Amino acid sequence: MDRISLMLNGVQTEIEADKNWTLLTVLREVCNLTGTKCGCSTGDCGACKVILDGEAKNSCLIKIGSLEGRRLETIEGLFQNGKLHPIQQAFIESGAIQCGFCTPGMIISAKALLDRVPNPTDDEICAALSNNLCRCTGYVKIIEAVHMAARLLAE
Amino acid sequence: MPDQTQQQFQYIGANIPIAQAALKATGQMMYTADMKLPHMLHAKVLFSTRPHARILSIDTSRAEALPGVHAVISHKNTPNRYFNSCGEVLDEYMTEQLFSPVVRYVGDKVAAVAADTEKIAEAALRLIDVTYEDLPANYDPERALDASATVIHDHGHLENGNLILTVAQSSGDVDAAMQQADRVFTGVYECPAIHHGAMETHASLAIFDAEGMLTVYTPSQDTFAVRRNLSRIFELPMSKVRVSVPAIGGAFGGKIDMITEPIAAALAMQSGRPVRLVYNRTEDICSTRNRHAMRLYLKTGVMNDGTIVAEDMRAFVNAGAYASGTTSVVWAMCGRLFKVHRCENVRFVGYPVITNTTIGGPMRGFGSPQLFFAQQRQMNTIAQALDIDMLELQRKNLTNEQGADPRNQVPHGNARPVDCLNRAAELIDYESARKEQQESTNQRYRIGVGVGVGAHGNGMYGVKADITGLMLKMNCDGTCVLFTPSNEMGNSSVTLQKQMVAETLGMPLSDIDCVEADTRLTPYQLGDYSSRGTFVSGHGALKIATTMQGYLAEVAGRMLDVPADSLRFSNRAAHAQDERSVSLEEIVQFSRDHDQKELMCAESFASQAAVMSYGAHIAKVRVDTETGEVSMLAYAAIHDVGKMINPLSVTGQIEGALQMGLGNALSEEMGIDERTGAVKNRTLKRYRMLYAGDMPKELYVEALDSFEPAGPFGAKSIGECSVVPTLSAVGNAVSNALGLEMNSLPLTKEKVLAAIQKTKEEKQTI
Repeated sequence: MDRISLMLNGVQTEIEADKNWTLLTVLREVCNLTGTKCGCSTGDCGACKVILDGEAKNSCLIKIGSLEGRRLETIEGLFQNGKLHPIQQAFIESGAIQCGFCTPGMIISAKALLDRVPNPTDDEICAALSNNLCRCTGYVKIIEAVHMAARLLAE
Repeated sequence: MPDQTQQQFQYIGANIPIAQAALKATGQMMYTADMKLPHMLHAKVLFSTRPHARILSIDTSRAEALPGVHAVISHKNTPNRYFNSCGEVLDEYMTEQLFSPVVRYVGDKVAAVAADTEKIAEAALRLIDVTYEDLPANYDPERALDASATVIHDHGHLENGNLILTVAQSSGDVDAAMQQADRVFTGVYECPAIHHGAMETHASLAIFDAEGMLTVYTPSQDTFAVRRNLSRIFELPMSKVRVSVPAIGGAFGGKIDMITEPIAAALAMQSGRPVRLVYNRTEDICSTRNRHAMRLYLKTGVMNDGTIVAEDMRAFVNAGAYASGTTSVVWAMCGRLFKVHRCENVRFVGYPVITNTTIGGPMRGFGSPQLFFAQQRQMNTIAQALDIDMLELQRKNLTNEQGADPRNQVPHGNARPVDCLNRAAELIDYESARKEQQESTNQRYRIGVGVGVGAHGNGMYGVKADITGLMLKMNCDGTCVLFTPSNEMGNSSVTLQKQMVAETLGMPLSDIDCVEADTRLTPYQLGDYSSRGTFVSGHGALKIATTMQGYLAEVAGRMLDVPADSLRFSNRAAHAQDERSVSLEEIVQFSRDHDQKELMCAESFASQAAVMSYGAHIAKVRVDTETGEVSMLAYAAIHDVGKMINPLSVTGQIEGALQMGLGNALSEEMGIDERTGAVKNRTLKRYRMLYAGDMPKELYVEALDSFEPAGPFGAKSIGECSVVPTLSAVGNAVSNALGLEMNSLPLTKEKVLAAIQKTKEEKQTI
């Protein structure tokens, strides 16, 4: 077992795990943070997106050993003090959520985008979601949700 | 009961976000793979690498000896009872066993292991020694019907050899009408096997406790059928089997069948510990169920003015290795052929055939996307040959509000496909698009416009007892709990049930708590399938809310000394005509304290109508004749769903169906490697589903302002119907862009290029 120290959702955290385990496995099975989902394990669906040093990444492709000293945000980090994050609020109100399995990954990708580009165009949103699959919504209301989130965040 | 025909409601017709959306947005929603129990073991399944083989021997001793392994199961130590995994045909064509001594496709179950970790379970699989005797394999349904083909099952009462059942229906005199037709058109149409692609893979968590109770948590669309099947396999009374749905991360018909549940259950029984089995994506693609690959032969007789006088279809349907719900799918698609045209002479013959491929099962649309791909592609060919515009040809032949099934004169309901078509043409500016198409002939980038029309049903009335049971109880603060056998799998079906209750009892949605899909806790229903959600279960929710309203009104009437039927319910209260009111809380308290009575009720709703939902889609594509690439430029999808109970979810269903349907038309295909029998596209890198950037830039999604008298508040289904016209709209658009007959899906760039190349070569030879 290895010890990895990182900033997890704003809290300095020490994790004990085999350094070769994927970040996704460690989040779900060691940290019990099951909001990050597994849809493929091959980096193609985006259900396991996390924000690593400001960038949305597939946690199924990252070894936990590479996370020493880094800053990690998961979907659980967005819901603070019982308050929904504006992006979460926007996803709910826009009807961007159906089965909900892709939703955490979508919201994470949206957050990484909005942290960088406060008022994105449709093309910028599609580019930011180019590695996130949704089988339910056809993406229409997800794109609307990202626009709505941009408005809510600007308020 | 509220007046269902009025125009203004508080909750009916409102845009309501899906129930429990905050759980889903925060990652708090607990799906099966997120659940953990003390002492829980992890399971892995050993899948066959042979398409068809007899297991001569299986030695699990080395696996059993591996530290951390707690159970190893195979056909040698599990019940051998035959079953059908699909609840719709639970008592028919029982070809499947928990484990069989014969494997029938690459991906079939051979053995399973439960261990302390998934890694140990995986390691144990590699220690299982299996020797096979290979048997001849068939991958094509037509070839599997040959008299010389190896028969794959010796159990299940199949009709003949690998043919499960001949599904044949007809009306009028097809042969005579074909003779009298001015023109007769024929064509062959092919649709590939498709992965459901729910983002949540199949999973179950099973517990077998000291009381002999088997509990299985699973994302199932058909909890009661899964319970019945588990009860049969393990010979347990239903009082000792509980199937409970924690959440469903997408299903689309793929979670109707019982798949992982009995494996997890057998391992839990063997090990005496909770066992969780979660399929990875490759296992989900190769070893669950898929949309049926089909080859359809269609012949249409037409008069020179475009009137269709006869339609004759033969469908060869690849059932894959086990019967599952294939016959049900073929029956469903068969029925649809009699529901869209006014033509009296119609014949359908379907051949569901067992082969050595992944198992075909129920999927959104139940064979209709394939059926209408053939029919609407041929309509497009006819329009060109007769030089009649496709819209004109459609209007001439499509059914209408007076339409009925030519087999039995059962009315289609308030059928308005022509209105859908007209609206789609208006929104996409069909005339201009056609002009662009003409102008692009001979250009590198060709524009193509394609029209597709389709229909789907509203439940299983006439086929099965189509019932939904519900319970409702009032809390003493005037809020309530609805016990529903449905699960909110993403299509807003439970949200819609809550809307029915909210409107009837005059309470906000947040006052309604729901207990969902659990064989122990809720009444029975047929299942969350067959587009029953709105038309049947939604109607059930209206019925139980109306019963409860009657109870509340009776008490409130006494409290206010007015007739019960003069009361209106809104703002958490019953209102008398003289403006006096009592709150729901006061009514419930009065009932308890004064009447000494708990306000609760149970109802079952049985559907008594077989109405149809319709939709028309128009696609505008651009085809790059040098690369073969097809881009979706614009798309209009217009549906007749009666009254929209929740426009946010209706449009969401249609938009989502486009992701699935356009993928089916353009890029998705499981494929089979004929040398090994294995699925070709086994990962999401190779199995190409559409991302946000692949969707049409210009999109028009609407439902007509309509009303279906047989539906709750005038509503009917959308979930399945929305995907039905997609294949034909895209197929026609690409065919029109190229001036070619593109009759084999998916229209990948390789296939498009090959078609262009072939035409060039043919021209050169001439």
